[in-house]
Amino acid sequence: MHASQSMTKTILTLKKAPHVPLEAEVISPDVFSTLTHDAVCGLTVFLGKRQLRLDEFFDVEGPGSENIEIHGDAARVKWIGKTMTRGSIKVHGNAGMHLGAYMKGGSIEVTGNASDWVGGEMKGGFIRVAGDAGGLLGAAYRGSVTGMSGGTILIGGIAGTELGMRMKRGTIVIGGAVRDFAGLQMKGGTIVLMSGAELRTGAWMARGTIISLKPIKLMPTFGQACTYVPTFLQMYARHLNTLGFSLPCDLKNGFYQRFTGDSSVPGKGEILVWQPASSSRGS
Amino acid sequence: MLRITGGQVYDPANNVHGVVRDLCIENGRVVADVSGGRTIDASGMIVFPGGVDVHTHVAGAALNFARGMIPEQQRMARAITRSKVQRAGIGGSTPTTFATGYLYAGLGYTTVNEAAVPILSARHTHEELHDTPILDKSCCALMANNELLLDLFEAGEFEKAREVTAWLIYAAKAYGVKAVNPGGVTGWKWGKDCKGLHDVVPGYNKVTPGKIISALAKIVDDLGLPHPLHLHCNNLGAPGNFTTTLETMKLLEGNRAHMAHLQYHSYGGDDWYTMKSESATIAEYFNAHPNLTTDAGAVLFGDTVTITADGPWQHLLYKLTGKKWGNIDVENETGCGVVPYVYKEKNLVNAVQWAVGLELLLLINDPWRVFLTTDHPNGAAFWRYPEIIQLLMSSEFRKEELKKLAPKAMKRIILPELTREYTLSEIAIITSAGPARALGLKQKGHLGIGADADVAIFNAGKDVARMFSYPRYVIKSGEVVIEEGEIRKTVDGKGFLVKPHYDPKIEDYIRPLFQQVYTMSFDNYPVEMSRIMHPDIQPCMPHNL
Amino acid sequence: MGGKVSCTLGEVKNRADLIIYWGGNPAECHPRHFTKYTIMQKGKYVPNGRKDRTMVLVDIRETPSAKAADIFLQVRPTKDFEVITLLRAMIKDQPVDEAAVAETGLSLEQLRDLVARMKACKFGVFFFGMGLSMTRGKHMNSAALLTLAAEMNAFTKFVAMPMRGHGNVTGGDVILRYTTGYPFGISLSRGYPRFNPGEFSTIDLLIRGDCDAALILGADPGATMPQPAIEHLKRIPTIVLDPKVTHTSRLARVHITTAATGISAGGTVYRMDEIPLPLRPPLKGPYPTDEEVIRRIREAVAKKADWMPGMNGVVAAA
Repeated sequence: MHASQSMTKTILTLKKAPHVPLEAEVISPDVFSTLTHDAVCGLTVFLGKRQLRLDEFFDVEGPGSENIEIHGDAARVKWIGKTMTRGSIKVHGNAGMHLGAYMKGGSIEVTGNASDWVGGEMKGGFIRVAGDAGGLLGAAYRGSVTGMSGGTILIGGIAGTELGMRMKRGTIVIGGAVRDFAGLQMKGGTIVLMSGAELRTGAWMARGTIISLKPIKLMPTFGQACTYVPTFLQMYARHLNTLGFSLPCDLKNGFYQRFTGDSSVPGKGEILVWQPASSSRGS
Repeated sequence: MLRITGGQVYDPANNVHGVVRDLCIENGRVVADVSGGRTIDASGMIVFPGGVDVHTHVAGAALNFARGMIPEQQRMARAITRSKVQRAGIGGSTPTTFATGYLYAGLGYTTVNEAAVPILSARHTHEELHDTPILDKSCCALMANNELLLDLFEAGEFEKAREVTAWLIYAAKAYGVKAVNPGGVTGWKWGKDCKGLHDVVPGYNKVTPGKIISALAKIVDDLGLPHPLHLHCNNLGAPGNFTTTLETMKLLEGNRAHMAHLQYHSYGGDDWYTMKSESATIAEYFNAHPNLTTDAGAVLFGDTVTITADGPWQHLLYKLTGKKWGNIDVENETGCGVVPYVYKEKNLVNAVQWAVGLELLLLINDPWRVFLTTDHPNGAAFWRYPEIIQLLMSSEFRKEELKKLAPKAMKRIILPELTREYTLSEIAIITSAGPARALGLKQKGHLGIGADADVAIFNAGKDVARMFSYPRYVIKSGEVVIEEGEIRKTVDGKGFLVKPHYDPKIEDYIRPLFQQVYTMSFDNYPVEMSRIMHPDIQPCMPHNL
Repeated sequence: MGGKVSCTLGEVKNRADLIIYWGGNPAECHPRHFTKYTIMQKGKYVPNGRKDRTMVLVDIRETPSAKAADIFLQVRPTKDFEVITLLRAMIKDQPVDEAAVAETGLSLEQLRDLVARMKACKFGVFFFGMGLSMTRGKHMNSAALLTLAAEMNAFTKFVAMPMRGHGNVTGGDVILRYTTGYPFGISLSRGYPRFNPGEFSTIDLLIRGDCDAALILGADPGATMPQPAIEHLKRIPTIVLDPKVTHTSRLARVHITTAATGISAGGTVYRMDEIPLPLRPPLKGPYPTDEEVIRRIREAVAKKADWMPGMNGVVAAA
């Protein structure tokens, strides 16, 4: 990448919130990077069944570049950063469904909330949402065998159902509580739940790791294996610290209970539940 | 009125092989001459009769079950965008009905035979065929596991079985009789199978697959159906199954039969690790027995979904792949299984399957008796036929493709030794003239005076796959439906069926039995003629070999 | 990975010796099910009818259907998924957490007995109702039972079938599959079919306010959908085709009275096992059929300028 190119930015400011979803998979560094200002303005977006120009909805500043900023409430703008491989997108506000779906590289940051399917089937790259996210983040699209297979998704707030469904590799960290079926049919990778989850966490998982810092309800097809603080966690904790999430791994403060399952598969997944030294077992 | 001028015409049924001549069309038929009307300049192009697919799965409950099972494939499939002339749909391994019409026509095909129709849901098959534009359609009703018939075979009541068969064919508004894994699907109702021709069918004392096959082949000939018994042999897909196939062909001496997707029935070896090609043995027998026709059921590498009435095979495939499995058993009649599948070049079994399909096409020396199919979608989607044509027409290309296989595979196949290359005339035979003759459709597969004006016009070129993938013009019933590779117009197709002779009193026998074992009212069972779009009843004439 | 293993109802009638209803109340919701297809029928291979069959009912409360059952298993609300997953483990002789089993409302003994019966039967069938498919876990509850049925085929013949709701739901599903490739939750806004339940399914679209018009055919969402969805139907132009006045027709801008299907309009209806049945209307009515109305709307729309200009052109918003 040329230094000059990496410094240029394309700024999109939403003029009016669309009244039905706007499909805008063209908002991607891969698409923008070689385009002139005019060409960016003329990119096609879909408002329901109608094909419109990007600049009907957004004021566009600057030439096309690998660094995109979006301002305004884009909660109804779908597919931002779809299949992107490089560069960055920063959304100042909310983002719509399928944010960073199928992405392979680069980074997406959202200051507000995101919707369902954040990082659906992503292969690599980095997504951080400061607020809440919907369901199925990092998940497989319906019928697919494999969900996310690489990359990182960090959510500051809460998230919905079936997060990480069928994921194979990569990391998902959720600051707030999550709903049912976190790590459903998981095949690998790591999910960290800072504030626990509702029901059926790790259901039908074959492999992979789910770490919960709060007691969680386990499926009856999980069994307790041991208590410990695995060494890989200390490396993981250092890594997550740099991303703003603090994972306890000091024996003075407590330990992890390790459960394995789901025996219905039969699977060899693991769920680690943090037990602070002061409390007794709570799952 | 339409005149196609300057093209090299390939009309092997009329002994025309690449002769430049005019083709004239009026009122949907080929005529001797026209004055006025449009003229298409086909200079530098080749002119074929419209393609005819003798064995495909394009409509019906099983295919529709599959469509719902594979959203992950549908998402990646070719999108058919709606326009003023075409409806929305998707391509892929199980195209939607409208897309099926567009995609077949987009290859120059104008007639297809849906090869597996459960009578109980035939009404649904016809609903789908109704919504499959451009193509003329026929279909074969599934009979070899029909318990009304099996009970009669058990009791030795052959005459009555013939009457019941005739009644069932017309009830289904079908064109032919299909036999799938005779007796085996009935066994599957108890989780069992019938692998050998002399195994007694579970639930019966005397009935065996061999007896079912002989009886049905004879019934079909006695009734004089234009298309012979359409047979999917027992033991499909299994290593060493070529012995079952040989035995079956021997059993059929004295009757006509169409051996469906022979590729899946020509394997040697004892298990998956030793599986090898036995295409030479099968082809040798086949070549010497003109009572038989067959289609290749060729395999191409890539994603697809397998759909067959062969329930036990599908359960095995599910266990082998560990992926999804769909199954519907149809009361008293048949079953169906659906398993998504990926054929991989580096997989030895898949490499053997790929080779066997091509070997059979190259080793069977009479192109009038072996036809191009992939048993769509089982071996590959039909829109990949041009890839097979390219493999058949160029031994150099085959050599290149063989390099992609694991070296170990070379010992299991004989394809590397085969140097035969198909001519354009032979391609016209295996894609049109031959299947039309096997189906007994006299107005199809040729361009003689009076033939249906179904014509495919291709740019003559060296890139065979491309040439056959993008016809310049496709004409159906005299209407130009494809021009410059685009759908310009859609027309309705005909529905071919037969009404073989039976004594109407046979209903007195069927009705009470039916009410005992079925869950539908007897009067709702036969498909109403009004549901067939442009029905065309073809005559039945007793066949004596 | 599971799948969908099913059959037509006649197979159940002729063969099933173990019939398990899960989260459904056929005695009241599908009153002919017992007598026409399942427990009461004498079948070809179950000649003594009821005597040759065992019926199990699994539900959260003792409904009138329990009287017909040989075995009633009362599971705690929202524990169906756990119970089915336990069964999946137990048929494979995998370990389960005994303490956690008790939380489902069933004992390990009851589950072991059920597993033994499932493995010993010749032809087993699950029928599942909205008590399973529409409670917490929804599609995953159905998926669990379908997977269990598929996996049971390693031991014996086993199938599963949903007890579909009122009207011709199955027919809608069947026709959408062959015209679009998908059963429901389909968007055609990009000119070709796309599928994503949760994104394009009706209730989700309405609750999020993602659509700006609605055409309702053969359904009364005004009576059955959640309030936020109904509120959106009131906000947007809603057109209803229905023979009678319904909750939805009352909130709609336009109600076109159509002929009642099966009474004065013909067609095809699909049974829950996807078997098509012809409808022969006994009466002639003054109203057009749904099909005729839709055809005429479509013809009128076709005369308008095309909104799908091909991928090159761009058309201004109307």
